[in-house]
Amino acid sequence: MTEIQSTGDDSRVEVMVPDKVPDDGMVDDAVRKKLGVGFWIAVGWLGLLVATVLLAPFLPLDEPNKLGAGPARTGPSLDNWFGTDALGRDVFARTVYGARVSLVVGFIAIAFGMVVGGSLGLVAGYFRGRVDQVISFLFFTLLSFPGLILALLITSTFDRTLRTVSLTLGVLAVAPVGRLARAATLVFAEREFVQAARVIGAKHFRIMTRELLPVVLIPMAALALLGMGVAIVAEGGLAFLQLSVEDISWGVIINDGRGIRDLQENPHVALMPIGVMFLTILALNFAGDRVREFFDVRETAFQK
Amino acid sequence: MKQFILRRVAQLVLVVFAVTFLTFASLNLVGDPLFNIVGVLSGIPDEQCEAVERGEISDTQSSGLNMGDCALIAQAKEQNNLDKNVVERYGIWLSDMVSGDFGTSFVNGDEISDIVRERLPVTIRLIVLAQIVALGIAIPWGVASAYRANRGFDKVSTVGSFGLLSIPNFALGVILLYFFALRWQIFPSRYENAGWWSELKALTLPALTLGLGLAATYQRLLRTDLITTLQEDFVHMARAKGMSDRHIMYRHALRPSMFSVITVFGVNTGALIGGALVVEQIFSIPGIGTELVEAVLRNDPPVVISLISVVAIGFVLINFFVDLMYGYLDPRVRTS
Repeated sequence: MTEIQSTGDDSRVEVMVPDKVPDDGMVDDAVRKKLGVGFWIAVGWLGLLVATVLLAPFLPLDEPNKLGAGPARTGPSLDNWFGTDALGRDVFARTVYGARVSLVVGFIAIAFGMVVGGSLGLVAGYFRGRVDQVISFLFFTLLSFPGLILALLITSTFDRTLRTVSLTLGVLAVAPVGRLARAATLVFAEREFVQAARVIGAKHFRIMTRELLPVVLIPMAALALLGMGVAIVAEGGLAFLQLSVEDISWGVIINDGRGIRDLQENPHVALMPIGVMFLTILALNFAGDRVREFFDVRETAFQK
Repeated sequence: MKQFILRRVAQLVLVVFAVTFLTFASLNLVGDPLFNIVGVLSGIPDEQCEAVERGEISDTQSSGLNMGDCALIAQAKEQNNLDKNVVERYGIWLSDMVSGDFGTSFVNGDEISDIVRERLPVTIRLIVLAQIVALGIAIPWGVASAYRANRGFDKVSTVGSFGLLSIPNFALGVILLYFFALRWQIFPSRYENAGWWSELKALTLPALTLGLGLAATYQRLLRTDLITTLQEDFVHMARAKGMSDRHIMYRHALRPSMFSVITVFGVNTGALIGGALVVEQIFSIPGIGTELVEAVLRNDPPVVISLISVVAIGFVLINFFVDLMYGYLDPRVRTS
């Protein structure tokens, strides 16, 4: 589950098969799809989270690293919503500040994956031939490492700053995003609007950026939401190996609270952030799923 | 078929080279391997040692050098081929590795092949158990939800599997550890191995941690394929002959519906390897994952390189065999 490749479009896309909506390119008003209430709830949660993270310095929160913000090892109370940990730090404040790192890592990672993987996939799908072979082999090699192992390899050779960890997880996202972009480009490059652009003498670069990119971006948007969830989880996994950022992230907080004694005496230190993290991943997965269904990207994801 | 296998073998060889070289090079180019063996002595400039060799520096006082230092450095370089370039060292390392000599740890001098021999079986048992758990849950679950698709049970299980897919495996591990090991004390909270029964008990929670999320993935795929299969004529035929629903589901419909599951089986084994790293930490299992993390933290490149290579090669091989099996089962794959 922590692996980017396992969320693979294939597994999720196949679920769509028995869909009733005929894919003839015409949108019938009767079957026009809606994003649904669930989507907006998910987006609402994500929005609330982002707002809290942005406003964190102005909120009446304890310092996340302040010792003795309350008595040590107390359960949730009005003063400390999520209780305090073994060092008396306020778990709620830590969760909010942890969200900062986790969300930033997730966002940078998927943004990097989109830009690098997307461009590589676009180039591979557009030019085909040798270029495609080389780029596809690169993707294949990247996918041949179990994801977390590759992340461990990179963070252990470099440092453990926020930037390195984010970019590492970004590298993991390159291959899955790239493969999707390539597959989508292969399909759309055959379409009339691309041929038309070619006929009027548009340059390769222009065709790729002005004609292909906008249509390829749609399936990628769905993957971006799913991928952000995967990146946040992967960061948590790295934190469990003590190889993530030297800062507070959700993974770090959960890892702090998972010792046998901590779990026995004050399980909320681990369970509260787990709950918040679960809701966030759920929201990202759900929103991503809805976006994919809404735009019906089955067509592009299926073709190889 | 022959050509298909040949092409896949060529691809396999290329990928194994690429993966091992990437691992080897990244850990050799960044950081100074010499530093890891001889520590601060690696800071001694080469010119000084050359001067010692030529006899220009002969007393310790004036240079601050210990006369044995240069010999130590030379020996370390010689033993680990550090005076050669990365490609050459990669070649030497690879040929040693193929002949079963993984080298020794920089830090404590342990034979790496011993480490692998001791640790790998534990991890393999964990992963196999996780796959068994996943399939054991996913097959009845998938059958039950496809049997009356889009009805009550199916709807509930869709929500359930979506939820399961959204729990990070380390979070699931902590939750299981809390309830089943600490609160209700059904399973041990740490790895123990006094006979197979105690090991099985100790591996149950870790395997569940890894297997539950996977079960949800398999269940989604199996359900979809089963729904398609159940529309086939041979299913109607079986029903017309008066066979029981259970018999039809498990004996007739299940096998032709396993394609998607088999496909993701290989990919997910990779996910399991990554997940095993984390889960081994939570339940203190002495597998390859804990050793790898320890080696990273104590800065022991030879061990890290060897373990990552072993894991990556294992992963590539599994995918290779899944690919072959898929090509064997479905002729269309061979020509693509």
